[in-house]
Amino acid sequence: MAEEERLIGSSSDSNPCPDPCPICLSPTTQESYLDQCFHKFCYHCIVKWINIVARVQSCTSSTLTCPLCKRENLSIICGYDGISYQRHYVGKSLENSEFFSEAHRYRLKCYYTDSGDIAEKLQVSLYWKFRKYLRQNHFLADWLRREIQAVMQVEDTDIIMHHVLGVIDSLRRDWSKKTSISGEKAREEFRVAVSDTARPFLTGRTERFVDELEVFVASGLNMDAFDQVYIKHLGWKESEKKETNQPTTPAVPYLYIFDEDED
Amino acid sequence: MQASRARLFKEYKEVQREKAADPDIQLVCDDSNIFKWTALVKGPSETPYEGGVFQLAFTVPEHYPLQPPQVRFLTKIFHPNVHFKTGEICLDILKNAWSPAWTLQSVCRAIIALMGHPEPDSPLNCDSGNLLRSGDIRGYQSMARMYTRLAAMPKKQ
Repeated sequence: MAEEERLIGSSSDSNPCPDPCPICLSPTTQESYLDQCFHKFCYHCIVKWINIVARVQSCTSSTLTCPLCKRENLSIICGYDGISYQRHYVGKSLENSEFFSEAHRYRLKCYYTDSGDIAEKLQVSLYWKFRKYLRQNHFLADWLRREIQAVMQVEDTDIIMHHVLGVIDSLRRDWSKKTSISGEKAREEFRVAVSDTARPFLTGRTERFVDELEVFVASGLNMDAFDQVYIKHLGWKESEKKETNQPTTPAVPYLYIFDEDED
Repeated sequence: MQASRARLFKEYKEVQREKAADPDIQLVCDDSNIFKWTALVKGPSETPYEGGVFQLAFTVPEHYPLQPPQVRFLTKIFHPNVHFKTGEICLDILKNAWSPAWTLQSVCRAIIALMGHPEPDSPLNCDSGNLLRSGDIRGYQSMARMYTRLAAMPKKQ
């Protein structure tokens, strides 16, 4: 107890921590919130508790009872930095869940990475300049579904996907009627409309999502080809950081879809 | 182990600071082992335990607060949810309804609440449970009062 007395005496004497984690009673580290009741815990404390609960219950539950208020919660929200956050679902780690594939992981990772000049490389400006946007992109639905799933880390995103798709379709119908509209103007309309549509769901990730979506539609590539170009592009950036003296060859898109003299 | 120790320090400090806050509970940590605590709780008023002071022994597990502490009555008590010989307590929050947000102090409060609200349908003391279940409130109360007087009150000289 002598050692304990010393420890107690040495650490902050009489003022208690105002808002401690209810599990360790210490100041919260890596603030995490439960998604229904918004009670706050340290990330490692609440994860430890989830693991204990899972071990006690024979079947894995997909909900967690809040230690404070007993409300059932589906996920832990953590890593909130003012604009974005991560979600961990109870009872299934993202690694094991069926819908969240390797490709989803790479897409989500892109949102934490500076994509550099990918837009330039895939000649996004030419897409608008030469009015490629009047053509329907048949790969868009699948790409959108995966993208929204990756960003939101939720499986069932079809409603949002159809919503975004519908907005883009109606824009295209408008553009095909108004032949006078400039590429610049169309681009602006596109970005504003998609932002407004996606923001309620993607919040802080919306801007980047619009960038990525623009790059994808402008590339005219299907999902596989787009992924290959993108990964190669990012890989090229990484190797550039590691070996600066070695000349690097820029990634070339596999398909050239821009017939510059078509118009 | 380290986490449980750190958390028990916090509770110890809290107990020292809030000594006067709850006069019905006196929680004391063992001098040489922070995983052993004892508590003195006052029997709640308007129950047959009124006037008695009951001693509880806490053994805190290594993985506390992820696991509940083990608590038993050291003072003999006649209560349907307390084993008459061992002092073992049948209380859901000490078993499957445990939550790491409970503290030793709040467990004491839960035990006081249990003293006032016995659950005769999950008895550890069948005699006591049967008295209540058969509707013999008076019989239960006089037995409980007798044991309170015998075991939980200072002996009159």
